[in-house]
Amino acid sequence: MGSTNMDMNCTKELEVCKEYKRLKLLPANDQIKELQTILRDKNTTRSDFKFYADRLIRLVIEESLNQLPFTECNVITPTGATYKGLKYKSGNCGVSIVRSGEAMEQGLRDCCRSIRIGKILVESDADTHEAKVVYARFPEDISRRNVLLMYPIMSTGNTVSKAINVLKEHGVKEDSIILSNLFCTPQAVQTILQSYPRMKILASEVHPVAPNHFGQKYFATTSF
Amino acid sequence: MAAKIALLDPPSSASSDSDVIEPQDYSEVFIDMEEQEERSGDFYNTPASPITVPYCPRPPSTGSQKSPRARRQRTTSLNQGTTTQTKTDVMIRTPQRTIYTAGRPPWYNSEGQKVEPFVIGICGGSASGKTTVAEKIIESLGVPWVTLLSMDSFYKVLTEKQHEIAEKNEYDFDHPDAFDWELLIQTLQRLKEGRKVEVPIYNFLSHSRENRTKTMYGANVIIFEGILTFHNPKVVEMLDMKIFVDTDADVRLARRLRRDISQRGRDLEGVLKQYTSMVQPSFNHYIAPLMSHADIIVPRGGENEVAIQLIVQHVHTQLQLRGFKLREELAHAHAMNSGPRPPTVKLLPMTPQIKGLHTFIRNKDTPRDEFIFYSKRLIRLVIEYTLSLMTFNDKIVETPQGVSYSGKRMSTNNICGVSILRAGETMEQAVCDVCKDIRIGKILIQTNLQTGEPELYYLRLPKDIKDYQVILMDATVATGAAAMMAIRVLLDHDVAESNILLVSLLMAESGVRSIAYAFPKIQIVTTAIDPEINDRFYVLPGIGNFGDRYFGTEPTEE
Repeated sequence: MGSTNMDMNCTKELEVCKEYKRLKLLPANDQIKELQTILRDKNTTRSDFKFYADRLIRLVIEESLNQLPFTECNVITPTGATYKGLKYKSGNCGVSIVRSGEAMEQGLRDCCRSIRIGKILVESDADTHEAKVVYARFPEDISRRNVLLMYPIMSTGNTVSKAINVLKEHGVKEDSIILSNLFCTPQAVQTILQSYPRMKILASEVHPVAPNHFGQKYFATTSF
Repeated sequence: MAAKIALLDPPSSASSDSDVIEPQDYSEVFIDMEEQEERSGDFYNTPASPITVPYCPRPPSTGSQKSPRARRQRTTSLNQGTTTQTKTDVMIRTPQRTIYTAGRPPWYNSEGQKVEPFVIGICGGSASGKTTVAEKIIESLGVPWVTLLSMDSFYKVLTEKQHEIAEKNEYDFDHPDAFDWELLIQTLQRLKEGRKVEVPIYNFLSHSRENRTKTMYGANVIIFEGILTFHNPKVVEMLDMKIFVDTDADVRLARRLRRDISQRGRDLEGVLKQYTSMVQPSFNHYIAPLMSHADIIVPRGGENEVAIQLIVQHVHTQLQLRGFKLREELAHAHAMNSGPRPPTVKLLPMTPQIKGLHTFIRNKDTPRDEFIFYSKRLIRLVIEYTLSLMTFNDKIVETPQGVSYSGKRMSTNNICGVSILRAGETMEQAVCDVCKDIRIGKILIQTNLQTGEPELYYLRLPKDIKDYQVILMDATVATGAAAMMAIRVLLDHDVAESNILLVSLLMAESGVRSIAYAFPKIQIVTTAIDPEINDRFYVLPGIGNFGDRYFGTEPTEE
């Protein structure tokens, strides 16, 4: 079993990752494992793939929102009683990394109807394989906002690094950035969290093999 | 008589037979739904009426059958929501909503265990007035849910030869052998256990059973009537009270003559011949001796008011002993109960985000669009969480990256959703969004404003629901009375207790405990448990009336 060997080799790396407090994982349960299984299965049809990807994305987004700052507040219920609740601070926005990050935009919209969403296009140079930012468009006051950076699959962390650099160039504080991610490798987690010691990552799974077919299968196009 | 009472009937139990006396003034709501259901074979179709009687025309005993009108209709469905109801009382209209007072009240006690119904057997010769006695008893009882089962439903399917004999009017419908006793006993037994039964619909033209059946339930009171009710000892054993209607032979003959001649256009000769050759001998041989089994003999049939009042009094005492008052009992039953909750109660982790959503939907000043939006988000989370409670198997899959991946797969594909109308319906969308092509059943339970008790009005479930894991949805659970009724319905449809998951957004502590103690194998999932219930059975601090706020039907203030 190839996977068993792979798992063995990477146990150490995974252990290391677990020590990062700024890496949050979805609470593990069998149902989320099932979603991950379906997305990784090469025999999954495209319609199933999209359906289950959207479900997992929704869960990841909900959990990402859970990381945002909030304050306590009291409200009166229709029965006249007081409920001690809490309120999220305003001033959040989403930023998706084109193209696969856009798959997560709908999930964010489903949770925050009027949230502002910026975009970054990062492309790898065909010859040097070096990632570079081709296009970026953000809300004007992004420097004052908390940013949910959306990118579903992270295998090396290069693309995300570039995107974070752009955000920082626009004045976004490192501790205001939360990366929403479905699958990432231990290597990528280490790269990102070491380079940016104040940002958070929220992922559904850290696994040595990233399902790199995600964008292609979700959008059903071949990438160049 | 039959016609008068049938007017009170929601059309469900009258089914769609063309020659049934159709009620004129029933709810517009029921019509559409029922019409469709009669045709679809996929779903259980359950009568919403409190008193169910199968469509079952009387055999003409013997005699010619020239016109279909010659059949005596025994297709009554009686509503007894309140004793002296007239047909206009079936509905109560308030500016906000229309309420039907003809639902099924609880048939179980506050522990969710079934209370055995009181079974009354009525026996007597042909045309002795059994039906009249039954109707008078129902009328005076004032018990909200009565099932009336007639022996006529259990005539045997005739062979071709017997069919020919029947054509010549020589088949003896008054003989014990004419009945399918096995099916009859089985049906009555299930009814007595409060389970759902399919009562055959006997067609007296073809002397066979129709493909359709009539769905009936056990009730607080079951009345079983027929000419040979006391013939089989097993049946006699099941009866809590045995009534023999003893009407003089000449009165019975006179009634038969009048009925057959004036209403069925038959000639005097024929009726008399048939009476003397079959009806009368059968009475003397089989029916009259059954009188010795009876607890009460009612002379003169339905006009004997004194006898009927005595019977009613006795039944009342018996019912009180069995105890049917539910909601209040529930509200107080576990209110004082503290200590750890049963392990089957699964509360979503109270993360800031869930608390934030609660803050939105609990706030009385939240506008409707936001209320709906944030409710939906919360519903989605609770449904996703519910799915994680299913059982999963290990599964290894091949990935496009060339390595295998050891994952999980849900062990069953048979999941269905059942929503408790109206508020539970708000959760259907989320279930459909997470489970592809899921089947959705519906149960309508309304609170009777007079008694404060929940009543079952409408029910539609997938036919093979016993093979499913059932996600039972209601937005809020206060006393747990409605949820308990819905669970009871599922159990009566043979769904295993461990296959039911009750899902809601908000529950009251006492409701959770009542249900968890009553049904220890059911998993209960919710996002918050509030400590109290007020005297109007609302949860505190609560969420208000979820359905009203979601659908925008809340009463205007002032």
